[in-house]
Amino acid sequence: MKEILLVLILIVSFPLWAQDPKPAANLPKPEWEKLETKKYHYSALNEFFKETYKQEISKDDLARLEELLYYTGIEILEDYDPSLLERYPTSSTRFILGRQALKNKKAKLALGYFSKIHPDHRFYPEAMLLEAQVHALEGDIKGEFISFEACWKSAEKDEAAAPSDKIKRYFRMVYEICLVNKARHHYKKQEYQEALDAYNKVPKVSYKWPYLLLEKAWVYYQMGDFNRTLGLLVTYKSPLLDTYFFPEAEYLAALAYFRLCLYEDSLVIIDQYYKFYRPRFSALEAVLKKNVNSQSYFYNLMYKEGEDLSAHKDFVHHIVTRMKKETRFSLDFNAIFKINQEMKSIAHTEKGDKRQKLLDHLAEVKSNIIAKINYNAKSDIFEFLQTVPFFSSELFKLNLEIISRKKDLVYSNKKLIADRSRGDYSNVKRSRFEMFWTFSGAFWADELGDYSLGLKSNCQTIRKEDEKTDPEEDYSGPKNDALPTAAPSEIPDAPPLTKPEEKKP
Amino acid sequence: MKLITCLLGLTFAITALAEDQKVIYQYKKYEKFDLGNMEVKGQLIAPGDISVRERERKRFEMDLYTRGDFDPFIEKDIDTLR
Repeated sequence: MKEILLVLILIVSFPLWAQDPKPAANLPKPEWEKLETKKYHYSALNEFFKETYKQEISKDDLARLEELLYYTGIEILEDYDPSLLERYPTSSTRFILGRQALKNKKAKLALGYFSKIHPDHRFYPEAMLLEAQVHALEGDIKGEFISFEACWKSAEKDEAAAPSDKIKRYFRMVYEICLVNKARHHYKKQEYQEALDAYNKVPKVSYKWPYLLLEKAWVYYQMGDFNRTLGLLVTYKSPLLDTYFFPEAEYLAALAYFRLCLYEDSLVIIDQYYKFYRPRFSALEAVLKKNVNSQSYFYNLMYKEGEDLSAHKDFVHHIVTRMKKETRFSLDFNAIFKINQEMKSIAHTEKGDKRQKLLDHLAEVKSNIIAKINYNAKSDIFEFLQTVPFFSSELFKLNLEIISRKKDLVYSNKKLIADRSRGDYSNVKRSRFEMFWTFSGAFWADELGDYSLGLKSNCQTIRKEDEKTDPEEDYSGPKNDALPTAAPSEIPDAPPLTKPEEKKP
Repeated sequence: MKLITCLLGLTFAITALAEDQKVIYQYKKYEKFDLGNMEVKGQLIAPGDISVRERERKRFEMDLYTRGDFDPFIEKDIDTLR
């Protein structure tokens, strides 16, 4: 029986052997293939499109295009006309087209492109992240969660198989963004415990983690745990996180103190903000606005702050360092490095018109990438600076509210129950998984993000003359039965919070 | 002469009759209620003294900003990837 089978297989395989394996072997190699052989990937990519655009695109062409894009990255395709990219139906081009459709708010079109990306493709996790975003915009919660799950599962798988640390880091970043976006979804739906559970899955060593402190602080604020909010925001004062400065964090700290009726602490933060940060922001804005139309000023700023900013050298350095950690800047700087290498190689080995032509093209590609970095840096800095006046005005409103509260106390001949004192462990709320150590003047890296203040709410008032508590006058709002019963009068309930507003900074 | 006197008398009488009659309504100038003497039949079910509960004063708080969502952060994260 085995012999018969072997014979049959041999018979079937003969015609296949008889076929010419390379029918086009005698045809001259296309120019792009020659360039690719010399490892001029950027030049080869340009030539590939030129040579194949008017031809019928074969499966082999698509496979070769994917190979080229593996070396060059897809960022340079973002400037290409969508109709050209449509002619090359690969997972990479579909990803670019889907991304463009999402930016143009064409949800159906975007979903169509993302659904055609192969699950084993390297852009699949990021495509799922974008797909989840499309579903979120469409209000399709089920679809959003399915995409999140596909995103982090595929990102985890690709991270494990990634050949280098940089690529591993990219997949880890995508994984964490998907996780964090789920937490943000819960926050929006006011499901704060679920949001916290999702945030806590991001480890402290993550690049994303310092940004999440602010978001977690908002979650605790909404849950009424103002001590934990303040503890998280204190983490930004650690020398390890000195590059992370957010006006919103300052505002939230002042607001949390305000909710605890610790008005003096709130005023200290407001005062510090106006005295220290605001003049720096104003000076920085004045310098940057002068260069707003420059094509290279912000790109150069990424390497070295200009002389006009020497007065705020450290401050600018912090902002730029934070920006440099973004994935897109790494990709773009990497592309410039590779183009420079290719240009050097061409200048060394090629001759005549061909050499000039290739160098001219690469110089153009390089200047496009520099313009892109310049634009992204500029928009990042100005977006950041724009948050300053918004939170300045919110802090001003908070200041007025504190003055109003103080005035009410004076008019009603009352005072707050206690003067500001040091915190106490009894005021710290913690789950059974959260440890507790006292702060002894030093930030330890493993403790960052786990701080909580132990401040007692000061929202009850007493009459000045008889020093008795006045139960009817309590700024902290209605009593909550769920609070510890050991000292109910000393730990007033969280104040009623206003509903999330539609205002945007 | 008699005739003239009669005519004059008639004329005066007609004029007097033609005038509106003035009617003066007068209400009671003074009335006394003796509350102590008045009686209401039934059982006393409410507190005797009249008291008004002090209402809690409504405080108007400034419209302070609280973050409702992280949508701008989501967009930013996507943008910073590439």
